[in-house]
Amino acid sequence: MDPVLDVSDLSVEFRTARGRIKALRNVSFSVQPGRIVGIVGESGSGKSTVLWSILDLLASNAIVTGGKISFEGRDMLTRSTKDMLALRGEDVSVVFQDPMTSQIPVLTYARQMRDILYRRDGLGKAQKRKMSVDMLDKVGIPDPEMRVDQYPHNFSGGMRQRAGIAMAMLTGPKLLLADEPTTALDVTMEAQIIHLLREMQRETEATVVVVSHNLGLIAELCDEVVVMYAGEVVEAGNVHDIFHHAQHPYTRALLECDPAQIKGKSHRLPVIPGDIPDLVQPPVGCIFAARCQRVMPLCLAQEPPLVEGEQGGYARCHLLAGPEQDSSWPPPPEVPTVARGAAATAGAKTISPEPLLEIANLNVKFNTMGPVWAKVRGVKQPWVTAVVDASIKVHAGETVGLVGESGSGKTTLARAALNLVGSQGGSVQFEGQGIRGMAESGFKRFRRDMVMMFQDPVGSLSPRKSVRALITEPMKIHGIRNVDPDREAERLADMVRLPKALLSRYPHELSGGQARRVGVARALALNPKLVIADEPTAGLDVSVQGEILNLMADLQAEHGLGYLIITHNLPVVRHISDRLAIMYLGRIVEEGPADEVFAAPLHPYTETLVCGVPQPDPDRRRTHMVVKGEVPSLLNRPQGCDFVSRCPHARPLCHKVVPPHVTAGNKRMHACHFPLGTVGTPE
Amino acid sequence: MSVIPSDPVIVTVPDIRESAARERREKLSAFLRNWQGVLGLVLVMMFFISAIFAPWLAPYEPNTMDIPSRLSPPVLDHIAGTDQLGRDTFSRLLYGGRVALKIAAIGVSVSLAIGLLLGMIAGLGPRWLDNLLLLLFDAVRAFPTIILALATVALTGPSMEMVLAIVIITSIPQYARVTRTATMSLRNTEFIQAERSLGASTIRILWHHILPNVIGPLLILAAMDVPVVVSVEAGLSFLGLGVLPPTASWGTILNEGYLVIRNAPWMVVAAGIPLILTTLGFTFLGEALRDIFDPRMGKGR
Repeated sequence: MDPVLDVSDLSVEFRTARGRIKALRNVSFSVQPGRIVGIVGESGSGKSTVLWSILDLLASNAIVTGGKISFEGRDMLTRSTKDMLALRGEDVSVVFQDPMTSQIPVLTYARQMRDILYRRDGLGKAQKRKMSVDMLDKVGIPDPEMRVDQYPHNFSGGMRQRAGIAMAMLTGPKLLLADEPTTALDVTMEAQIIHLLREMQRETEATVVVVSHNLGLIAELCDEVVVMYAGEVVEAGNVHDIFHHAQHPYTRALLECDPAQIKGKSHRLPVIPGDIPDLVQPPVGCIFAARCQRVMPLCLAQEPPLVEGEQGGYARCHLLAGPEQDSSWPPPPEVPTVARGAAATAGAKTISPEPLLEIANLNVKFNTMGPVWAKVRGVKQPWVTAVVDASIKVHAGETVGLVGESGSGKTTLARAALNLVGSQGGSVQFEGQGIRGMAESGFKRFRRDMVMMFQDPVGSLSPRKSVRALITEPMKIHGIRNVDPDREAERLADMVRLPKALLSRYPHELSGGQARRVGVARALALNPKLVIADEPTAGLDVSVQGEILNLMADLQAEHGLGYLIITHNLPVVRHISDRLAIMYLGRIVEEGPADEVFAAPLHPYTETLVCGVPQPDPDRRRTHMVVKGEVPSLLNRPQGCDFVSRCPHARPLCHKVVPPHVTAGNKRMHACHFPLGTVGTPE
Repeated sequence: MSVIPSDPVIVTVPDIRESAARERREKLSAFLRNWQGVLGLVLVMMFFISAIFAPWLAPYEPNTMDIPSRLSPPVLDHIAGTDQLGRDTFSRLLYGGRVALKIAAIGVSVSLAIGLLLGMIAGLGPRWLDNLLLLLFDAVRAFPTIILALATVALTGPSMEMVLAIVIITSIPQYARVTRTATMSLRNTEFIQAERSLGASTIRILWHHILPNVIGPLLILAAMDVPVVVSVEAGLSFLGLGVLPPTASWGTILNEGYLVIRNAPWMVVAAGIPLILTTLGFTFLGEALRDIFDPRMGKGR
């Protein structure tokens, strides 16, 4: 069969102040009709550039320097603008990463979808509306007749992405492009969107190209996979071949780095050392050579050959053919090919008996309107409770993972502990001293001992300060003068393995991983006792996140730090945590030793999170959804148990009574009437 | 067989220490590559030099009358002609530049400083204070400059100090408003939260983290405000509400030229040229400064 989309030898460059960035070099792949093809790669791999090239929507400083893209046999690059306009949205349409920014906030969905159908002159307004409603119904939006007249801000995040898919499918495209379709969504929503995309594809028989960095998503959704690295396709093939018999060392390394892949608990995560090469002057030979564990002199000198596999797949590597061919490559899946760094501290963990930070029954309320307005409107409760009776302890030398979806109140809890937001009721103690609601002047000395790392690696650094000024700033804030700031900056840079040349750079010039190191250096500048890290791996590539977490583990071992790690990603955090606390809608619903919580969850929500992340294994695709729906808004907290509206095991009691916190024998706490794994009889 | 890739960045310690200087050099060369910026700088320098060194540059005393050669067209002796009292227009323009410079320098810097401070207070402070300050800014802005000037002049009589006071009061709100908006968008950013979590005081946050991020647009605003201030002074003086004759100012010269525009049109033209050049100079300079001041804005704009 002729491919729907055929990209051959595509090369794209970007003109920048530093020179021409060779973003894509000789990229070729083809997509057969009715298939779902995933383009996977880390940031800077050029996967999005491929997508935008197909649509001729590249930034104005991009130049296509060679190659061809043909769609249904016709060249896309030479089409006229008018021709392209007729094609986009009709035959080819896109599902965007962030529905918040890709939908028009001031128009209703009815209007936006009518506009999408603007070329269908034969259709009346009522017919177009009917089509929109039907499509919204198809993507699982409840009550579409009413919903179609609402605005994007009336929809929740997951619903908005569903609407995004509806808008893309409305014209019945032959080719659907999806750019990181679940990245802006929560774990439980991600599974639902993957499911929806698969169903829509099956129904319409459209061809789908998905771009993602998420191996789990690719494994669960795609039929074929194209692996990109630094602007080149390094391997392509059937999804089973890629995930089970990866040929290229990069693919192999990428798979091994995915924390969801690691079965047992591992304190050290595998990493691919180094950084993506500078694409202004791409290296000679193999593009991956500088980071490859199996690099040979030949790799640095000569471009690797393209080796075809049995089932139409191919990879580019010297190990597969030519003079250096190695018949023992690739090794069987259980043999690791990626270093995990020195496990210098394995088992040497000492956890102090006294808690460093002890939060007990903390509540945080946010006012939703002023007191006067509330009186006028007769609202009895003009606030929402973002954190309800939260209790958590962190000991020195211990890592506690605080896990929950967005809106679960985990960040608010951390900020309240640090007095960055006000709290109502409960207590916060640091080394036995009550610190809740303390005035900032008194709290300042505690800020040396308890520090917070914020979520956005780059955005949490003051943009007009050099790295050197940033990492020595804590000393200036706390008036420490008997140190040489330059020497301190170098010491800290060494500590977090940050190249010293970066000290004079500004935050926007750093990669995510580098910026994160600066954040770690800044947090540790004054030898704190407790570090609260908010999503320390957010925005980082798979190969880099292991490096950051290993670094944090090393520093913990060295300085006896206590960590409170806030994340939505249970598979990552369970490897490095001693204890886990699961938060849902402001309440801690389960807490206990990390292994036990992960292996045998007591609360149904924990189970959801454990199974929520798509597995990087195409043979273990989930066929049913564990939970439905989304995290409810704090404004309409369900009656009884908070999780009742989504819980697959809910019983009548759950709808009436809020489950109390129960501590089971082996130090495990949960808040569920009918914990899993126990034979519960309705009370 | 496996070669551990070595770190490609090899840096010696002196390199790092020098990097700040290197960065300054890079910024300078970026500026020098921008022709508009360089032209702006040259014009602004001309403005400053001519104003500061007016007593040495001027061929005549600005107030020396020479009735026989009154309303002379531009000739070699009087390159910009003379006015109806025979005073050399070129010399008077040079001296007029001193008035303009004084008003622009003092007026813009004082209103920038006050506006910046009030704006940051409004942006970071409590809600009621913000509302109060906004009310004040809007009240001031609601007054037409000319009416305000007329009212004050009616009370105190025209003088340069009055012009200055009016210029400052009327330009504070725009600086304050820009600062306030920028401060408000910054106050909830992660990096400000991060600074707070490190224990940075409000003053430190304002000075080290908010100020550098809001000053860029304000400097452009200031550079573009200079010509406005200069023309306000010229306008008020033209109306007889500002600098009083015989003191030379571009406004008074324009005013006098306007009276004789049928007989000696070159006088208005001569007085207009420095106004135009100064305006252009500061505008170009302001835009070039913005491009370099903001490290996030590349050359590829």
